[in-house]
Amino acid sequence: MEYVRKLMDRVSVEGVKIELLNTAYGNGNTFLAKLDPRTLFAWYLYFGIAPWFIHDVVLLIGLFLFMTVTTIMSRVSPLIIFILCLGLLSQAGYLLVVSWIFGGGWDTILPLLVLTTKLSVISMASITVFCSMDPEKLSDGLLSIGVPKQVSFGIAYGYRMLPSLLEEYHHIFLSFRLRGVAPKRHGILYWRSIAYFLKIAVLSFYPLILSIAKRTRTTVEALEAKGFSYAYQSPEVKKNKLSYMKFTIRDGLFITVSALYVCLLYLFTASYTF
Amino acid sequence: MVQLKKRYVLTQSQKMMVFILSMSLYGLSNMITELIPSFQLGPIELSVEYFAFIPLTLCILFHPFYAAVGAALGEIIFGEVMLGQFGGLGELEKFIGFSLAMFIAGCLVNDPKNRRQVGIAAMTGVIIHQFISCAVDIAKVWIGVEEFEAVPGLAQSVVVVEGVSFLNDVLFSGILFALLPTLYLVPRLYGKIEPLLGMKPRNNKTKYSLGEIIAPRVVVISIILAVTAAVAEFMSESDMALIEWDADFLESVGGWFIWVSIGVAAVVALITIVMLLRKGKKTPTNVDGSQQA
Repeated sequence: MEYVRKLMDRVSVEGVKIELLNTAYGNGNTFLAKLDPRTLFAWYLYFGIAPWFIHDVVLLIGLFLFMTVTTIMSRVSPLIIFILCLGLLSQAGYLLVVSWIFGGGWDTILPLLVLTTKLSVISMASITVFCSMDPEKLSDGLLSIGVPKQVSFGIAYGYRMLPSLLEEYHHIFLSFRLRGVAPKRHGILYWRSIAYFLKIAVLSFYPLILSIAKRTRTTVEALEAKGFSYAYQSPEVKKNKLSYMKFTIRDGLFITVSALYVCLLYLFTASYTF
Repeated sequence: MVQLKKRYVLTQSQKMMVFILSMSLYGLSNMITELIPSFQLGPIELSVEYFAFIPLTLCILFHPFYAAVGAALGEIIFGEVMLGQFGGLGELEKFIGFSLAMFIAGCLVNDPKNRRQVGIAAMTGVIIHQFISCAVDIAKVWIGVEEFEAVPGLAQSVVVVEGVSFLNDVLFSGILFALLPTLYLVPRLYGKIEPLLGMKPRNNKTKYSLGEIIAPRVVVISIILAVTAAVAEFMSESDMALIEWDADFLESVGGWFIWVSIGVAAVVALITIVMLLRKGKKTPTNVDGSQQA
């Protein structure tokens, strides 16, 4: 039961809500957060794709150092960094262990390390870009590069509705627990309790689906009353909505410094090899 | 006859309703599954990968396209953007794979009351989705490591790791959190949830369009064939490498080892195709029967 109770503590609805707002609006005044979203997307387009095709170790380490600096600049919460490291290391470690069974040895470690470096460069690039933007900026940025409007609507809707949906789910879950009978014995490894909770977690969706269906209808009717479909197709609305975005000298500086660093890195690698 | 040909058309706002419903429900469930810890028993990980029953149910009950796209978007927005884990371009692959799998699953069902059809569709959806994500994961290592075949043991270990996780997800998550809940929810929600969104329930008479019904079968078959091809290709490549590093293993097991695996894949593909064809033959009579009745 202790395990389950610990789990329940983690799933406290208030905690989740606070955590959500923290990730969304926690770091609005860093250097990166003040850049134009389009600049960040362009920057990401290089650093998110190029590492896949780079096999040079020195070049990768250079990129890795650069990404470390930008990640620190974006002041991401330590939790996200921890999750990232754990994921990368466990994946590589798992592959390594299994490859030993198939006759691999120390030769396998180096390519796997290179792969891990590569993946971490890419992940850090995406953390730098997407964690430094608050949700409005992200959705407007996506809209400006031609992503369908549903996406930006979805982001806005998610932030507005998710807390109340979570609360509703939690209420249903609790009422299922109140009315039901918890298993008398936990079974080996608490499997009875775990199965019971998972079953409730699934069953709670039945009333929730019906109530969200009602809620959705209200939302769409309200949207239609405000002319959502019309605004959806009109290019003037989009132009008006995005008129506040403009490139500043800061964007130029950021792109120039990054480009300069990458060029120097290439030059350095070239001189290193010959 | 005009009635038979009538397509299942939704108004703009009904499409929007299905989309938002699917997005918020699946997004919410994603957030919940993120919070449930996983149990690792050696290589077998008993984790609640996702509550696939939600998009499956909605794709079966409503227009599969809008429900599938909504669910995939909900996963990205609620499960990634809002938790601060948005992965940029990597999300695109998830989006396409997931919405394709759910769309195919939804299209396979044309009578939500037919439990067998619903069950087959649910499992097909999960299998397609897991297969796509495994293939992408293997491809990632393949592209990421220079001279992939030359690294001892890597090719096999990637395939083994991904294969185990594929079987694990399909058999554990797939049955417990996709097949059973879908079989429970679809008959209960059918006819109840549609009026809440102001639309008529799907039935045998209202079809999407003939093309949309046939196309998913073609897609399923082609995907299965592609799997066979990919497995065969992969086996033959790693086989060449096997001779170099581990000749004893190959000699003792023999070259037939590769053919066994290809054979198994082919048999599985054949069974699925035959089942699909049989179902394909059955469904038109089903529709006709209800038409006469």
